[in-house]
Amino acid sequence: MKKNKSIVFVLASLFMLTSMVGDTTEEGDKLIGVWEPSNKKVKVKIDKISGKYYGKIVWLREPIDPVTGKPKTDKNNPDESLKDVPLKGFRMLKDFVYAGDGEWNDGTIYDPQNGSTYSCVIKLKDDNTLDIRGYIGVKTFGRTDVWKRLVMKKKKK
Amino acid sequence: MNLKHWLFIFTLAPLALLGQEEDEINYDDFGYADDDGAKTFASPKINGLSPNRFINVAWDVQSRYKAEFSDRTGFAEGEDWDVNESANINYTGGLRLNANIPVVSRNNIVWQMGANYTNTTFSVDEPAGAFEPILTELNSKSLSTGGLFTTVFKPLNEKQFLIFQGQSDYNGNYTFSDFHSFGLTKYSAAVLWGKRPHDRLQWAIGASRTYRAGELNYVPIVLYNWTGKKEKWGTEILFPAKAHGKYWVNKNNLLMFGYELEGASYHLSGLSFNGNSLELRRAEIRPRIEWNKKLVGFFWLNAQLGSRLNYSFNLDELRDGKEFFRGFFGDQEFAAMSRLGTSIYGLIGISFVSL
Repeated sequence: MKKNKSIVFVLASLFMLTSMVGDTTEEGDKLIGVWEPSNKKVKVKIDKISGKYYGKIVWLREPIDPVTGKPKTDKNNPDESLKDVPLKGFRMLKDFVYAGDGEWNDGTIYDPQNGSTYSCVIKLKDDNTLDIRGYIGVKTFGRTDVWKRLVMKKKKK
Repeated sequence: MNLKHWLFIFTLAPLALLGQEEDEINYDDFGYADDDGAKTFASPKINGLSPNRFINVAWDVQSRYKAEFSDRTGFAEGEDWDVNESANINYTGGLRLNANIPVVSRNNIVWQMGANYTNTTFSVDEPAGAFEPILTELNSKSLSTGGLFTTVFKPLNEKQFLIFQGQSDYNGNYTFSDFHSFGLTKYSAAVLWGKRPHDRLQWAIGASRTYRAGELNYVPIVLYNWTGKKEKWGTEILFPAKAHGKYWVNKNNLLMFGYELEGASYHLSGLSFNGNSLELRRAEIRPRIEWNKKLVGFFWLNAQLGSRLNYSFNLDELRDGKEFFRGFFGDQEFAAMSRLGTSIYGLIGISFVSL
């Protein structure tokens, strides 16, 4: 009888644990999707890879560099070998981990306009709005931008 | 089917399909999940702007120069005066600290608070004439400026913005153990309205109350920050306070060339003419070349080399200890006049910046 109770307790604990992990994962996955910064210059698709969240540029308002006449590349990247990498497809959000309470941290955001990488924290304001704060060292030295969720509006023909 | 086939179906095949599907997605077809998107506001920056200094520590030094002083007191604006005495000023220089901390920094408003401290030490040979007590005082003490300031950048929409800047300065021959009355704190302010037509241009017009020319004045101001298409050449102008051309040698090196008008009104405690307290109206124009170099991460070096042209080093009496406004057309007399010879100056500093 005592042995049965122990088994029930262990199973119940495991069930609760997996439920909790499941809830956290589900909450964290609210970040997944296509988002647009307030300057509306790019669209960024955020995916989950090996438990972390990454965002890549999937659309540019001005895809052609007016100086070269060619598709824009990451010309401001401080790494010479990456200057020719196309901006479309570039991973600008990296390594975010869901910390609970609608917040993702430990990640970085890359600004292609100046080639700088900043520490970053993401906060879900509502299901369709993010506050994204890039900062240097401490959050005081940073700037917050508002991103909005995008969804497919037109159906494929 | 063997185990390998099943492994492919359950692992690699969905990934392959996912990649194929992503290639076919037309992101033009995406719209906002709720009613509308985030409102777009004008950014306080443009592409290719010089690094924004959060914290700066610098040392400024001037080469030896000759100074000439009037012999009596009481001079009308623009009046000629005779040199009574002259002296060599062997050393002029000191520490400069500046901190500019964001309080609120969002896309719809940026509010920064800051503090600055500048100390100028003098070493004068044989002080003489009406300036003798002042120069003796400067030899033993120094001139200091300590200030608090705030800047608000408020975008009105995608193109237009307002800038408000307010500053209070406590200037004089004080030391940290010997503060003066705060009654002579100087207040400056500026308001600008401007436009940011595209990512490489912002301009604004406005007005300011300023001590940049040494004494209190009210002047119109023009801001014009522009960067060329290739993001190599550009301008950073806040006329009349400063105007620079710039050239980005590469992403880690920026050259700037232009001028800055620097000045302040210093209360000289313990000194008086005719029983009235004295203000030293000090201002100088600095044509220069500036080199900004990335050191590591967000730490940058800035080095300036240029000429220091005297604009004002004159004395005003404060009747009943009250500040007054002379402006460009006032007829209040100066207490005493001086001319400082031109010198070469250099400045070197380290900054913690944002790009």
